[in-house]
Order: sequence, then structure tokens, then C-alpha cells
Amino acid sequence: MSHSEGALASLHETLDDLAGRAMLVDDEPAAIAPLLAALSQLASHADVAGCTALSETALELSQDASDGDSLRQGLLQLQKVLESESKKAAEAAPVEDAASSGSLGSDPDLLNDFIVEARDHLANIEAQALTLEQDPGNKEAVHSIFRGYHTIKGLAGFLELGAIQTVAHEVETLLDMVRNGQLSVTPAMVDGILAGADYLKTETNRIESMLAGGAPKRPAANDALVKRVHALMASKPVESTAPAAELIPVKATPVEAKTPEIVSAVEPEVLPAAAVHEVSANEPPAREVKKAPESRIVKVDTAKLDFLVDMVGELVIAQSMIRHNGDLSSVTNASLQRNLAQLSRITGEVQKTAMSMRMVPIGQLFQKSVRLVRDLTRKSGKRADVEIFGEDTELDRTIVEDLSDPLVHMIRNSADHGIEMPEDRVKAGKPAAGRITLKAYHQAGHIVIEISDDGRGLVREKILKKAKERGLVQDGAHLSDKEVFNLIFEPGFSTAEKITDISGRGVGMDVVRRQIQKMRGRIDIESQAGKGTTFFLKLPLTLAVIDGLVVGVGAERYILPIFAVREIFRPQPDAVFTVENRNEMLLTRGKLLPIVRLHERFAVEPRSREITEGVVVVAESAGKRFCLFVDELIGKQEIVIKSLGETFKSVPGLAGGAILGDGRVGLILELEGILGDIAHV
Amino acid sequence: MTKSVSTLEMTATRSDERAGKYLVFELGREEFGIRVLQVREIMGLQDITVVPQMPAHIKGVINLRGKVIPVICLRSKFGLEAAEYSSRTCIIVVQVRGEAGLLLVGVIVDGVSEVLNIGAGDIEDTPDFGVGASTPYLLGMAKIKGKVKILLDIDRVMATEELKRLPSIAA
Repeated sequence: MSHSEGALASLHETLDDLAGRAMLVDDEPAAIAPLLAALSQLASHADVAGCTALSETALELSQDASDGDSLRQGLLQLQKVLESESKKAAEAAPVEDAASSGSLGSDPDLLNDFIVEARDHLANIEAQALTLEQDPGNKEAVHSIFRGYHTIKGLAGFLELGAIQTVAHEVETLLDMVRNGQLSVTPAMVDGILAGADYLKTETNRIESMLAGGAPKRPAANDALVKRVHALMASKPVESTAPAAELIPVKATPVEAKTPEIVSAVEPEVLPAAAVHEVSANEPPAREVKKAPESRIVKVDTAKLDFLVDMVGELVIAQSMIRHNGDLSSVTNASLQRNLAQLSRITGEVQKTAMSMRMVPIGQLFQKSVRLVRDLTRKSGKRADVEIFGEDTELDRTIVEDLSDPLVHMIRNSADHGIEMPEDRVKAGKPAAGRITLKAYHQAGHIVIEISDDGRGLVREKILKKAKERGLVQDGAHLSDKEVFNLIFEPGFSTAEKITDISGRGVGMDVVRRQIQKMRGRIDIESQAGKGTTFFLKLPLTLAVIDGLVVGVGAERYILPIFAVREIFRPQPDAVFTVENRNEMLLTRGKLLPIVRLHERFAVEPRSREITEGVVVVAESAGKRFCLFVDELIGKQEIVIKSLGETFKSVPGLAGGAILGDGRVGLILELEGILGDIAHV
Repeated sequence: MTKSVSTLEMTATRSDERAGKYLVFELGREEFGIRVLQVREIMGLQDITVVPQMPAHIKGVINLRGKVIPVICLRSKFGLEAAEYSSRTCIIVVQVRGEAGLLLVGVIVDGVSEVLNIGAGDIEDTPDFGVGASTPYLLGMAKIKGKVKILLDIDRVMATEELKRLPSIAA
């Protein structure tokens, strides 16, 4: 791989940059020193890239040039040399790197496989890099990252993805030096590793969009990154690995200040060795590196999986139809009964397995948050650790996908609003580094996700004041803490004094709540001023299955989500009142609730119009209770929600359809829509 | 008879896209044909769950092996008087091109009769019925054994305003 296009372009850029800076040298004679250093680095880069002539000239110049004039002349000459080298390279390699030129020469299937595999590796690299940051001595993490980059490099080389290969190669070399003990892990290095991963991520996205028929794009420039990695390689090797006891923050210099410099710096800036000792003594024990289980995994198209789940659902229905066939009850054949029982047991198992195949652990989502917190706190000069519990907790794939945005938003809030600046924390008697805890666990058929921080907490008065300003709360209203906290979910509400690019525009929490509710979940807050805030997300395990209450009206069957049902009873005649002889109300437990007759609502012929002959279901929707009058209760059933599609979406009061036990379709009621209509009546 | 069909077929211009296999079904006294390639399955009439507040020709939804699909009554769609369902009444499940992709739709017809291979020579353009009688969803008329079969472009039958928003198969 001599004269790779990328390397030459990078050399070009470096030279131009140097030439520009050389113009300014005259005013400040000392300024020549970093330029000379950069030159010698350029020489070594040129050597790596196979441009020996350029390398030699650059090296000579870096030793000989003493003032601005000689440097400028030397640089001019260098540019000429590079020019001719590029020409030679172009002749020697007429076949252009297919992917880097913006077209995809390789087999799309192979590229797709590459994208999937690279993403897996990149996710792992990111996780391991963060582990490494916590625990710089973690050899296993280094190995794991190395392997990841190595695999990506190999695959990219095979598919002629030059840009990816170059970056992967450089980072891999860097990691190799760490493995051999030539370098030790610094925060800047972790940044470099992550930047490499980010670059590869963008590149895989680019390839993916090209595969999907997007406009061909050239790979993003990677020379700055390559330079940065080189700078890391040139940083001081470990001279003394300080024993653990001495791992005390040597300097208060925040690491983040250095990061942007390294990106743009051309001079081989040697990182202060102090950075190595960033790990403070009171750091929590490094998170255990979880080795990916060596179980065999098959990747399956999700469409196939969904189809399988559909089919299994049908199987269960067919099975139950046979079992409940009237003719069968008269059969006394014991072996037939036994076989039927066996059949239903097996179908149950198959269903459970099929459902479990849609489940994925939440860990990946959490891992993303770790990175997020890290980047956010660096930007704002705060410090925060992230603790994760229950990353193996599984939930439906679709929920994981839908949860990503709200979760990111809430974690941003925690890092931005919750966690205080280190000095404020110390003043408040808390450790300088904040703590954000993510927890996931199962509870009564739901999954609960806790996001807590030990930051400043929600301040009741502040929220109330804001709410009054916005007209969300009347003066003199008495609200419980919970009600006050819930105000932050109101649209347009934000207590942040200043709007940052992180959060504070007040479009956040209401969107979060809406999204959570869309998943049929709930969000609760617990908070103590000065101690911190905890958000509780309670979500169904799967979006596809809900517990439904099946009710009948005439010949039709309707399903109510059971979580909305509060009470079911047959009303007494003296509990029913009418308003203007039209609107009906029911007095129950000392409260008057409006009655909605489902048969009127849906224009279905009921069995009886007498309230006392039917059943009343007290349902709650959006905080309002009402009574739904139906003919009869049929039962409780676990149902798989099917979309009715766009046509029927315009029907207020319907949330979807479900296949009932007898194979018919039952309509799932959307209570808000049903109730919403009363207002119009 | 079969002979005449095959000779006609031979004279057919191969460029006529309308030629091919058609599923013939009855609706009142008329016979219609839809492209076999678009037919997914033919099933007997089954319980249809009524969806409230829908136009009269949208009968409701049925369960097609785990999928909820809408069912259209072609009689009321074409403005024919409603008829009692008989043992011959059935639902043809067709795949049509909707705005959001391919959709499955059930179509209630009086009965299906046969699958015919219709050559281009048998197909005549739809006669012009004059102003006000727009027939955008008619592909043409096929004359088979002295009878006329009306060839339907089922995509366009379904592509009227209220049907554009039918659920896609992926849903």
C-alpha cells in the first residue's frame, strides 16, 4: 500500500498548512520551532506513505532551515517534490480505490455484511474504550479494541475501502504499541480511539446510504484523524507506571481542554504525562469487562421474525379453536385428550420462544448513554460517572428502538441540569464527580427503567414559579410535590436559565412523555432538592402483546386495554341520572361519571338498551374516568395488536385490531378517542 | 372453439400488455376478470368485523392468517344493488399497489368461475360511453366464447380516494 491516495492528500494538506504558517514566522522567530518539529513529523509520515524522496527532503529541511526565508524556500521545493510523487503515484496506480472514489465496486451483499459486522465491532470498541477510560490498565479491553479494529481493517482491505482501512490501521498500530507496553493509555488516547470509531461509523453510514441508492459521496477526510493518532503514537512512552496507590489527580487540568487542540495541531505535541494519572483514588472499581458470551448467533431478517410470530399466533388460535370445539367435549377418548393437552403445551412453548426472539437486552442502549454522558460532561466541564445495572434485562426490539430518543433526552437532562459543576458539588459536600445511574429490571410484567442522578434535584418553588409565569398553574393552587414535578412534562416548560446546545429549549420533556405514553408506558419522577432526581419509566415488555378485556356489544366484540380498566359492575337502577334527559351519568363511589354507550357510539345493534341489563366498565383515560356501557363481558385475553392501517386510523376510538380466540378480528378501543367524542356531543 | 382461441392468440400483438391469465368472477349478471398475478388467494366468506364509520362498500376487516386486512364489497363499490350472500359468494384477496406500498385487500364477489388465458386479439378497448361515463379502471373487454368479460385494473379500482389509505402489507 504505498502512495495511498489518502496519504498523499494528507501530505498535501499538511504542506499547505505549513506554507501558510511559514508566512508568519518572520514576526516571531521563536515560532519556527514548532514548524520544524511538524516538518520532521511530515517526513516520517511521508516515509510511511512511501514517498522516500519527500521524506528525505523534509528531514533535511527540518534540520537546516533557520529562518523564515530558508524555510519558505524549502517548503516550495517540498511541494514540487510532492507534486512529482503524486504524479508517479497516479501513474503507478491507475486503478483507483473503488470505494474512496465514491463508487462501490464491490459486491453489495459483501458490503452489507461488512456494515453489519463493522457496527457490531464499533459498538464493542466504544464500550471497551469507555471501560479503558475508567481503568487504563485493563489489558483485556485493549486487546478487545485491537481485535475490533484489526477485523475491520482486514475486511475493509478486502473490500477496498481505503479510507476505513487507513484509519483502522493507524488506530490498530497505536493499540499495538499499547499492547507492547510502548505506550500507556491516556484520556487523549481514549479520545483518539473513540474518534477513530466515530469516523468508521460515519464511513459505514456513508457506504450504507450509497448502497441504498443514495448519491455517491467521497469518504470524509481522515488525515486530521490520522495525524491525531500519529501524535498519540509520538507521545511519551511510559517511563514509570505509577503504582496504584499513587494514582492521585496530579493536576486539575481538565482533559477536555486538550482534545480540540490535538485535532487541529500539526506539531507533535507531547501530551503531559500528568494526563496518565487522571484516574482519581476515589474512582469506583472499574466496571467488570463483560466478555461477550460465545454463544452462536444467527442473524435473521426481522420481517421473517415478525412473520414467524404472526404464524405462531395463528397456530395458537387454531389450537384453541380445536380444543374448544363443541363436538370434542363429548369425546371420552383419554389418549385424544392427552394428545390435545400435549399439543397445547407445545404450542405454548413455541409461542413463548417466538416472542422471546423479538427480545433484545437493553445493554446496548445503556452503553450509548455512557458515551453520551462522557461527551456531555466534557463539553460542560462537569464530571460524572455512569453506573449501569440490569443491562441484560430484555425487552421488545421495537421498544428498544423507540426508547432510544427519550432515554437520550433524559440522560442529557440529568447531565446538563441535574449534575452540578464540580466546585458546586464539593461546596455542597458531595464528591466532585456526579453519578448517573441507569437501572433496568422487571416488575409485574413490566420493565422499569430508572434514570437517577445525584445532582441538584428539582426545586419545587422554581418549577412553580415558572409554571405560574407560563400560566400552567393558577395562583393559590395547592399541588403535591408529585404534581409539581409533573409540570416539567408540560409543553414549553423549561427551568434552565440559559439555553445550551444540550438542552433547555423546553421542547424536551413533553416529547419524552408523549413518546413513553405512545409505548403505553408511564413516567414518574422522584426528586429531592440538593440530593438528586430519579425518573422511573414503566414500559410494557412488548408493544405487540397487551392484556385485553374483551367485551361484547350485539354481535361485535371489542377489546379494552386492561390497564385502563378500573372497575366493572352491573349498575343499580337508582345510580343512573340523566342530564336534560339525554346525557347519562352514573353515581359510583360518591362520584358522578359520564356514561358512554358503545352501541350508540359505533352504531351497533345491542342486545339491550337497559343500563341495568348490561355491564358498565369504568375506564380511565388521560386522567379522566368514564363509564363504558356494553352488553357483556367475555373475558380477559392476551392479545397481539395488529395495525388497522391508515384507512381506519381516521376512525376516532379505534386503536387497532386483534385476532380473537375464535379467529375473528376484534377491534381495540382507544379510550381517549371515545371519550373525546363526548365533548362534542 | 379452443382452436379459434389459439389462432387468435397467435395473431395477437405481443406488445399488448393486457394479454395474459385472468381470474374470472361474477358480479350480478356481469363477468369480470382480474389479473391472476395479483390474486393472492380465494377464500369462502367469513365473519367480517365491522369497522364503524366507514363508507358502505368497506365492509370491515378479516383475519388473513394473522394479518388484519380490509374487505371491500365490489357490488356496492360498483353501485349494484346488494345481494344475499350465497354459498358461492367468496372473498378474493388481491395485492394492489397503494401509495405506501403493496397492500392486501379482500374483495367480495358473487362467485369465481375460472382462470382464462386471454390473448391480445381477444381484447378490445373499452367503448366510449360518452361524456360523464369515465371508466378509468377498465383495462378493456375480452370476448370469449361469445361472451364479454370486463377486464379490471384492480389497482385503479382500489385507487379511489378513500382506499388510498388502506393498510400496507408491512403494517
